[in-house]
Order: sequence, then C-alpha cells, then structure tokens
Amino acid sequence: MPQTKTTLKELFSEILANLAFMFTDDEESEPSDQDVWLETSVRYLGPNRGTLVFHCPRRFTRGLAANLLGVDPEAPQVNDQSEDAVREFMNILCGQLVTQFFGSQDIYNLSIPQCRVLPEVPEFIAARDPNVASLSVDGSRIQLVHLVEGETPSPAGA
Amino acid sequence: MSHDVLIVDDSVTIRQMVKKTLDIAGLNVGEVYEASNGIEALAQLNDHPVAVMLVDINMPTMNGIQLLTRMRGNRRLKDIPIVIVSTEGSRQRIAELESIGAFGYVRKPFHPEQLRDVLKPLLGVKDHATNENDAEGALF
Repeated sequence: MPQTKTTLKELFSEILANLAFMFTDDEESEPSDQDVWLETSVRYLGPNRGTLVFHCPRRFTRGLAANLLGVDPEAPQVNDQSEDAVREFMNILCGQLVTQFFGSQDIYNLSIPQCRVLPEVPEFIAARDPNVASLSVDGSRIQLVHLVEGETPSPAGA
Repeated sequence: MSHDVLIVDDSVTIRQMVKKTLDIAGLNVGEVYEASNGIEALAQLNDHPVAVMLVDINMPTMNGIQLLTRMRGNRRLKDIPIVIVSTEGSRQRIAELESIGAFGYVRKPFHPEQLRDVLKPLLGVKDHATNENDAEGALF
C-alpha cells in the first residue's frame, strides 16, 4: 500500500534528523559498489507481526555513529561503534513505526536488532514494492523493507 | 551534593548519548556507571550503590522489566529509583512499568530536556530554569 512506503520514508527521515541531524532526499543515487553493505533487521511481535530490514553502506553507519556520539567521523570509536549505532537506530525506528501503524494500546515486543555484512550490493526493489522505501542520505543510497506477517498494515487512524 | 547514576542499555552508543545528556543537563551528577544488561547492572550495584538508574527494556540476558522486578523484590535495592528509557510506546506497557515500581519513563528518541525534567526531582539541578514536560516523558 502506498501509505506504507510514505510512512517508512517520513518516519525514517524524521528520526534521523532529530536524532542524528542527518537529512534525507528522494533522489535515488546509484548504490555504491565501492563500499561494504550492511543489513540490519528487527522484528516486532504483538497482535501483528513483522520485520523491518534496513540496507545501507558502511559509510552511512560511520556518519550515523559520529553524529550520535558528537565526534569527528575519523575518531577511532566511530568504526568500533558504527554497527551498534545502526542497530540502535533501527530499534528506535521500529518502536516508532509500530506505534504509527498499530497505535499505542497494545504491547509489542521488539527483537534485539541484528546486523550483518552482505556479500554484495543488495537488490533495490522500492520501485515495484509498496512495502519498500528507498532514500539517499549524504549521497548514500539506503533501503527500508517492511516484511509483514499476514495482511499489509495501513498507518493507525488512516 | 552530587548523585551517582547507573545507565543500563545494551547499546554503547545510547549509553554514551545518555551520559553526555547528563553532563550538559545541569544535573547534580557524580559518578556515572554503565551496564549492558540486567545481570551486569546487579553486579555493578553490588560494588557501588547509586541514586538513580536509567534502564532500557529491550536487552539480552536480563531485560529491563526483569531487572526492575528483581530489584523490587530485594530489600537492599528496592528503593533505588528507576527511570525506564525505551523505544516502546504502548500505554499498557507504561501502565505495567508503573505497577512494578518504575519512577518514570522517557521514550526514545528523547530530547535532553525530557530526560532532565524526569531526573530533576531525583538529582537536583545546578540552575533554576524550568521547562514544561514533553508528552513522551513522564513521572509516575
């Protein structure tokens, strides 16, 4: 459903801006094949169940970690903590997304986010899938995939 | 008089962000200790008492609710104020946290002012500026 894609984009952009002072745009830059790509996923379980999957290049995670920590991107802890930063970002995003989609009445438990290195650049499928959003952040292409178990949700109150 | 704080979160990034927020918020904070789950937190509390704890819910090994429940059943630990700092926004969950003795709740992502406003009654502030509480931070 078109609302899912829009909600993913809007929430991601809002949280990234408020938390890390990083800004998105819709321009779909070419995904870099010169960088390592990461996949971070977090599952939500409650009356509805699903998984949020995030694909980004390592460069994005370093920028995120540096901004969250308020340090220079070349600082040593940025490399060490870049995966932790993106896991925590996904934890926060998923919590907000669940509220946006399903409201704040029911309890949803989130899994511990998992991050892994991908063997190659992921396939970008946003153009043909309403549950997928693609954005650019500081020239880095990223992709958010919402995998729903059962019926595709629409945002709460929609 | 300054007060020691224990931050319990499996994300080292969040622990550092919270620590930085405590630094700049003008609160009377002494030592700041860290733990990455409930088990580590209990071990820290064996070594040094603290005035307040900031605890995430979603952690491996022992999560925040398990930690809170364990502490409330321990005579030595039961009165340590615990502020939950979490991504969850369910009203049922917040009510559950209140029922098992959480002092307050701050939802991630949070503004430094939200954390300061919840911690002010516990730690005191170095200045007398006041702010209205945001809807995503609450005292129980």
